[in-house]
Amino acid sequence: MHIKSNGSSNIMGGLTIIVPVKAAVPNVTAVRLDPVTHNLVREGVPLMLNPYDRNALEFALRLRDRYGGKVITMSMAPPSGKDFLESTIGMGADEAYLITDRAFAGADTLATSYTIAKSIQKLFPNFDIIVFGEETTDSATAHMPAQVASWLGLPYVYYAIEAEVKLEDRVIRVTRYLEDEGVYETYEYRLPIILSVYKNSNPPRDISLVRKINAKVNGLVKTIDNNVLKLERECIGLRGSPTMVTKIEDAKPIERKRQLFKGDPKEAARWLLENLIKEGVIRL
Amino acid sequence: MSTAQTQQRICSEWNPVNKDEYRGIWVYVEYVNGVIKDGSLQLIGKARELAGKINTDVTAIMLGHNLGDVVKEPIYYGADRVIYIDHPALAKYVPHVYANAIVQLANKYKPEIILFAATKRGRELAPYVANSLRTGITADCTELDVDPKTRDLIQIRPTYGGNILAHIRTPNRRPQLASVRPNVFPTPPRDVNRHGEVIAETLDTIPNVNGEGLVEVRPVVKGEELPPVEKADIVVVAGRGVGGIDGVKLLTELAKLLGGTIGGTKKAVDAGWLSADRQIGQTGKTIRPTLYIGVGVSGAIQHVFGMKESKIIVAINSDPNAPIFQYADYGIIGDYREVVKELIELLRSRRGS
Repeated sequence: MHIKSNGSSNIMGGLTIIVPVKAAVPNVTAVRLDPVTHNLVREGVPLMLNPYDRNALEFALRLRDRYGGKVITMSMAPPSGKDFLESTIGMGADEAYLITDRAFAGADTLATSYTIAKSIQKLFPNFDIIVFGEETTDSATAHMPAQVASWLGLPYVYYAIEAEVKLEDRVIRVTRYLEDEGVYETYEYRLPIILSVYKNSNPPRDISLVRKINAKVNGLVKTIDNNVLKLERECIGLRGSPTMVTKIEDAKPIERKRQLFKGDPKEAARWLLENLIKEGVIRL
Repeated sequence: MSTAQTQQRICSEWNPVNKDEYRGIWVYVEYVNGVIKDGSLQLIGKARELAGKINTDVTAIMLGHNLGDVVKEPIYYGADRVIYIDHPALAKYVPHVYANAIVQLANKYKPEIILFAATKRGRELAPYVANSLRTGITADCTELDVDPKTRDLIQIRPTYGGNILAHIRTPNRRPQLASVRPNVFPTPPRDVNRHGEVIAETLDTIPNVNGEGLVEVRPVVKGEELPPVEKADIVVVAGRGVGGIDGVKLLTELAKLLGGTIGGTKKAVDAGWLSADRQIGQTGKTIRPTLYIGVGVSGAIQHVFGMKESKIIVAINSDPNAPIFQYADYGIIGDYREVVKELIELLRSRRGS
């Protein structure tokens, strides 16, 4: 296992927190897929900040507000991603980076996590914490935090709800909530570390329109392409993606009886109960 | 396309893979706080079916400390073999430590497929394992198949809101990883007369936790709670149309009378009427009860995704155009308060007599 004991510096100046965010497709039921690659056609689709990334950003901003330092957002997205990164500045992020290049197109989660991990290593080698949203609302894989942790050889915890940092010891205490078990767990690690934030925690603060417009007018979102990152072609985009969508089909629903009753509630209740008894799904 | 790709240069961070060296289907059997997860046992059943199609066997992987006889359980549910690591370093669950232990075993035995239940912990572990093996992974599959010719795992998952099913393969890399939502497959029967091989492995290196790791576990204190939605045979589900907490209380009464439990749509949970662990749908839980009763549920595709495998679906809604009626076996158009009150009264009177 390759755990880096070093990686951060300037810790007394506060925390350097990276929040990778994604442009989610707002209306997932009205998307278009490329008939050949079966990939989502993102060109011309209005993008918004993935809602759960706002909870992650809130988590990061609370840590910064408490311990000092800065919050940097970044996203691998088409050039139109600038707008939602400006929203992250509007919410309170200190800096924002758009990682964009045609060479990144067609990436599955392995290639995407590679691009994000290597970008962070290159651009922000002294980071303390990477904070992700729990998942995205459009593809909902929740792969990114663990995959980036694997590339960087770092400890990681999903579903974080709160954290405390001892700056002098470089130690973080993270509490997370496992919804399916109804259990809270607290972990303690030396920094740096990777987290994802439980989607029903850390309700996000509002986006300040003034700050957002300021970010737009002054071009605060920095754009980085692969001329800067120099990532190996075989590791990114379609070529760096081991998975292939080989077929898409409409989800076939189970045939249902679709019997309807409209009328007197007493009669309706009787009708339903008789049918459910007949089906053998309730017993009296 | 796949042969062309194998001849291409691959990423220098990837190991070359000879697919013929990889055989067997693995299921990671999640065992935490003394409990084996149902989702893992369900995967053993599915793995058996897939193994038959490509003439291979099913191995269960277990990790922990002082495991004792629990390592035999996967055999009773259909596994041919169990490989486990019993080590003090695995006494407490630490995500990267557990994930690296699975990576170590996979590097040694070279399985062609590794399946994880998409529990909260499974979703945390599986991508780290996949990435460390430099292979692909598909999250939250709702169906799996294998191609007998290529031995490709066909990973089927709903995508973009649930109205499209994508078939995903990992044609050139091994092993092939997928996580599967709990409760999309049935739990196989437990048969203590089944026999199989049990292999003890050890950790190659003492893991570097990089800190204390897990320091505290605290279960949520619950009052007189109804069963969780994924465990109940009958689930009454509140949608936005129930209007508020009072409506949810009325439905809870019905659920109790039926011996079932209460759940909600995302809208009902977001409104604060129900706790998040009762949310059904794409961003909540998948259920397959024998009886689903949706009350004031409009039938958004994201919700339907989490309940469409129910045996019988009932919808009660005042809007005759609500999409939920398309998915229902029995639908009642009307004011749910009146209908549910009548149902409660009818159930009480019939049981009383």
